Amino acid sequence: MEYITITTGFLIILAGLWAIMTRKNLIRIIIGFSLFDTGIHIVMVSMAFVKGGVAPILDKKELLTDTAHKIVDPVPQALVLTAIVIGLGVTALMLAYAMRLHQEKKSLDIESFKDLKW
Amino acid sequence: MKKLLVLFILAAFVSVLYPLYSSFHGSTGLTEVSQFYASKENIEKVNSQNLVTAVVVTYRGLDTLGEVTILFLTAAIIAFFLKKESDKRTLRKNSEIFKTAAKLLIPIITMLGIYIFINGHLTPGGGFQGGAVIASAVILMFLAFPNMEFSHKFFESLESVSGLVYVGLAAFGAILGLGFLDNAILPLGKFGELFSAGAIPVIYSFVGLKVGAELSNILHKFKSVQADN
Amino acid sequence: MISPIHILTIGLGGAFALGFVPKKAKDAAAVLMLAAIALMGVLTGSWLIGLINGESAQQIFTAGFKPPFSINLLMGLNESVLTTAVNFIGLLGGIYLYRNLKEAGNHAVMVFLIFIMGLNVVIMTRDIFNLFVFLEIVSIATAGLVILTESGKSIQAGFKYMLATGIISGVLLLGIIFAYYYSGTLNIDGLTAANIGALKGGSVALLLIMVSIILELKSFPANGWGLDIYEGSNAGIGAMLSAATATAMYFVLSKLLEMAGSEWNYWVALIGAVSFVGSNVLALKQRIAKRLLGYSSIGQIGLLMIILGFKDVLGDNTPYVAFGILFSHYFAKAGLFWLAGIVKQNDIANWAVIRKKPYFLFLMGTFIFALIGFPPFPSFFAKWELVMELVNTGNLPWVVAILFGSMMEAVYLFRWFGYAIKGENENIEDFKIEWNKILPVGIVAIALYVTGYFTSQHTDAGAAINWIPLFFVAAIFILDFLPVFIKNTIAIIGMAFYFYTIYPDLDNLRLVFEAIFMIGGILTLIAGYAYKGTRPGFYPVALLMYAGLTTIIEAQNTLQFFFGWELMTAGSYFLIIRGKRSMPHGLSYMLFSVGGAYALLMGLGMAFAGQGSYDMSIINSISYIPYWAYGLLIVGFLTKTAALGLHIWLPGAHGEAESDVSPMVSAILLKAGVFGIVLTLIGMGGENNAYPWLPYALGWLGAITAFSGNLMAVFQEDAKRLLAYSSIGQLGYIVLGFAMMSHLGWLGGFSYVVNHFLYKAVLFLTIGAVVLRVKTHNMYEMGGLIKRMPLAFTAVMIGIIALSGVPPLSGFAGKWLFYNAILEKGWYLQGAIMFFSGGIAFMYLWRLIHTIFLGQLKDNHRNVKEISIWFLIPIYTLLAGIMVYSVKPQWVLQPLGDIVAQWFPDGQLTWDGGTAFTKYGHWAGTAVAVTIIAAFLVVTALLMISTRKAHKVKQFDITYSGERPERPETTHVAYNVFEGLYQAMWVATIPLVEKWWNKVSDFLHDTAGIVRRIYSGNGQSYVIHIVLFIIVTYFVIIGG
Repeated sequence: MEYITITTGFLIILAGLWAIMTRKNLIRIIIGFSLFDTGIHIVMVSMAFVKGGVAPILDKKELLTDTAHKIVDPVPQALVLTAIVIGLGVTALMLAYAMRLHQEKKSLDIESFKDLKW
Repeated sequence: MKKLLVLFILAAFVSVLYPLYSSFHGSTGLTEVSQFYASKENIEKVNSQNLVTAVVVTYRGLDTLGEVTILFLTAAIIAFFLKKESDKRTLRKNSEIFKTAAKLLIPIITMLGIYIFINGHLTPGGGFQGGAVIASAVILMFLAFPNMEFSHKFFESLESVSGLVYVGLAAFGAILGLGFLDNAILPLGKFGELFSAGAIPVIYSFVGLKVGAELSNILHKFKSVQADN
Repeated sequence: MISPIHILTIGLGGAFALGFVPKKAKDAAAVLMLAAIALMGVLTGSWLIGLINGESAQQIFTAGFKPPFSINLLMGLNESVLTTAVNFIGLLGGIYLYRNLKEAGNHAVMVFLIFIMGLNVVIMTRDIFNLFVFLEIVSIATAGLVILTESGKSIQAGFKYMLATGIISGVLLLGIIFAYYYSGTLNIDGLTAANIGALKGGSVALLLIMVSIILELKSFPANGWGLDIYEGSNAGIGAMLSAATATAMYFVLSKLLEMAGSEWNYWVALIGAVSFVGSNVLALKQRIAKRLLGYSSIGQIGLLMIILGFKDVLGDNTPYVAFGILFSHYFAKAGLFWLAGIVKQNDIANWAVIRKKPYFLFLMGTFIFALIGFPPFPSFFAKWELVMELVNTGNLPWVVAILFGSMMEAVYLFRWFGYAIKGENENIEDFKIEWNKILPVGIVAIALYVTGYFTSQHTDAGAAINWIPLFFVAAIFILDFLPVFIKNTIAIIGMAFYFYTIYPDLDNLRLVFEAIFMIGGILTLIAGYAYKGTRPGFYPVALLMYAGLTTIIEAQNTLQFFFGWELMTAGSYFLIIRGKRSMPHGLSYMLFSVGGAYALLMGLGMAFAGQGSYDMSIINSISYIPYWAYGLLIVGFLTKTAALGLHIWLPGAHGEAESDVSPMVSAILLKAGVFGIVLTLIGMGGENNAYPWLPYALGWLGAITAFSGNLMAVFQEDAKRLLAYSSIGQLGYIVLGFAMMSHLGWLGGFSYVVNHFLYKAVLFLTIGAVVLRVKTHNMYEMGGLIKRMPLAFTAVMIGIIALSGVPPLSGFAGKWLFYNAILEKGWYLQGAIMFFSGGIAFMYLWRLIHTIFLGQLKDNHRNVKEISIWFLIPIYTLLAGIMVYSVKPQWVLQPLGDIVAQWFPDGQLTWDGGTAFTKYGHWAGTAVAVTIIAAFLVVTALLMISTRKAHKVKQFDITYSGERPERPETTHVAYNVFEGLYQAMWVATIPLVEKWWNKVSDFLHDTAGIVRRIYSGNGQSYVIHIVLFIIVTYFVIIGG
């Protein structure tokens, strides 16, 4: 199980990077970034998995005894929540930038934003 | 040509990441830290049925405060950045079915969102999830009634109030001597009930309100600068 | 004390509360923000004071649990210093940006406040994931602040920044989660204990964490996005990034480096060195001020990374060195960015406008000198300590890299400063002054001086520095509004009094040089009375040079010596660039000086190595690669004596300087280099030293310098350049004399030192005074001035006779000693060259009389007056000195002989009354002088009587003087008079040395021009750079 998710995660990271590095359109680059982020989140969640564990929500009586051996790790799950929200913020901001850049030059091609260089 | 180069770079990057991948063998037990969180004594100390929520709001509460701050920052930046209001747009009229359905759904979705964050310490969910659900209701509203006036003032005040309450509760913990963000400043209640886990449900509710308000603000800004082209 | 956690309460509470401030009340929002930042500053400041006074560091727990189970923060001494620094610069930056923030509205104010709060937490946190979260806060806030004053460029920069930091933080997150997987903890201390680097995957996780932090510091070459935000954002934001963010990020790196373990030290240092050198080289081609500052910031961070990497070597000194560099950078860079925002000129050439408000020029100079590491700024002391320790531990390649990078930085910063001082500024619009913008700049400038002083007090060697001369300079600077007459009087009295108080403490060797510096200084200052008005800026810089010179003489330890050396360099640089067309020469003077100073620094480091002391006596017993050490010291000193190869700055610098400055920098300043060489040669062990090749090479260098200096002087049409080249030649003699390492050689050398001081001061003062009257340097535009300025004529005549070294005047003493010494030493070939160049000297000296004072008076000079009395006083005082020396040489040579005998007891002169004997012959100075002077007077009298009836050649008597006064160069007999010689000798006059240095410069600039093209401006390629950077570091550090 965890191998499937971690492999998927890494593949999505690579797919995201591929998009960031080859696409010319700003929106596609942002989508690439989103993929890259999501891939990392999937890898994070895979870390939490413990064989035979259940979600760390103690809504059944039997879970209250010897809890540590019955649940999966809650920490990466908490971290991934934070990471998702941060990624959301960054993506939203990038989109706002892309809108303004488009207003500026009526283009979304990343090649057309090279006024600062060298 | 360039793609070939990128392919080559990615291949090299794979060889950087490969040791991480190959040394991953899954986990057979909890780490020391999470064992501590899962120990009986500490479950009782925090008294939250959802352990993830306990971690998010209490043990790693400072992260969550930072995370809320990031959304707040994003909303603030977008607010001063995308301030130019464009001309009124000519939009196709929405169908009656869509509008009626939206009227029906918006309150329900909002309710669901509120339920999710209020019960964050008991069931899967929490402030962020609930806030995001609320924001989805706002999107629906924007789509269904694009010309409706949106009181972003209200949402901004809500955002500030929730933020202040959160910081206030956190600081209160430090002042009472229990530690910044300690949930034990409020009565812990009975395990598994709505009024349990001390300050967690309160904090998470305000987080939910704040996140909902912030996301709605961001969406509103995006909407208001949208041009027709 | 209030718990530091309340920084969060204040920062976030303030930011959330800003939501309630009505949109209209813009001032209220900005004031609230400043109050919040000030409050955070007070909080951290109180911790700083408490911790300095011995309180213990405090852990701050959250959530009522102990780490590693909850997030904890730490407030230790380092944290308190840095958070206070961040809040301080945040407050100043907030004041500076007051109007911009106000205009942008409440939301922008919130962002700024959260930005500062985020940096505080980044510094304090001890949890790595928490670090990630607050780093994200900082970088998102940065992306927002970049567009504070919106332009197309700033949005582009912001987008690229977001993209790049997005990738970097993704990589960081990946590293963090795997670090958690391997160690089971997120606490930095816990991770340190877990030593995950030892695991196969763990080392990669660690690499990802470290590399992403290094990338956040904008390491070269994956830093195009970083340069873009420096250039694209408001200058006030640039200041924050460079001062506040870089400071915090640097501390993050140091925190994580502890976690990564000592094997990472090397890599951090290596990446830092690449960044430092690479960034500074690429900056050479940069002409946009803010981007230039960006390059410089990145370079400085590279230097700081080197320091961090060597923390085990530096040991307890690490914070001292790191903070010294860091704070100089922090204050100076913030100041320069703020200035850039005030001046509002992109192109560095347009910064000439800054001198329309001279005090701004002073501020800019302060920042530039602080960045390069001049005294009295903290970076000077830190760099000193760094180089000493690195050399001491044998890390020479690192020292070379550091000094090379610093040199490059000096090139572009001084070029920029040169534009500010000397560039054309007529057509550039003046800039406006806003008080909220000037206040922060002024504060950081003052802070640089204050921190510099306190930095010096930290070490024993530094505490020994005598600050009185510098305080005197500061006082004169404050009094700069007074008229020349008053300032000059104060300066002269001050110097005289100072000389009077210190001379009893000096040994005879030092007394000779101190007398040249101080008495010479006073005499040349007297000429300053000839100037009217306030002569702004002259006295502080002239006195700065003299303060440096006297510090060199008084130095008890090598740090003091170097301190004085750099002060002297700074002062003389400012003196030189005061001249009208002095700019390119001022720059090359500075660059050769800086290069020479670095050679000295390395040499002194080698002296320190193995001896563990800074006492001046260590150069007498260098044990660590002594050949190199002495060689470097000599090379360093030779840059000041303008030996061939290192001389190209001198002709322009001395020739274009003001009339009373030329003698200061020629007759007086050059002797500082000689003093250094004398000390080095003494240190090498006198006569039977263990390094015979060094003096031998030095001797040849001296001989060739003498020859080529004199030869170049022959072809000059510009009187002051002629004298300048002549100085090069004369210094060649001096160097050769000392290189002989024998009693007579040294005595000859000293004799030349005194003589050159006397006659070069006379000649430069006189010619300078003439130039002030006739308004040209070109000799062919002068002529016949003997009729208008007989006193000047007499002075020049006596001066050139003394210089040429013929009897009866004092120059002969030196020549006579020289030839004796050469015969004794057996350096016949060098002697032949000297003899030949002595002959060449006549060819140019003659022209000073012939072309300037004889011949036809030019039309426009019919009414010129005799040179100013204020010049005549020092000139005739010096002439009196020459006459005394000539008539009674034993009064000078005997004491000098006693000095030399301390190290060279063999082969002394034997004196019989006024007659000196060597094994080759004898010389009765008084008798020779009196006889020849008498003969001269008799012949003159005879000539005057016999030529009374001679035909007077009038201007239009074309039989004898067919000269066109309006275009003298076409018909003037003395114009290009040595063309024949030139035909024969032109090969020797090809400026090979200048061509060589130009080639070096072109090569570096071309390299920079090509390499910087990697910064294509495309955000996508920046992502590729980042990924490549990670890949390369992986393969280098961990291997395939």
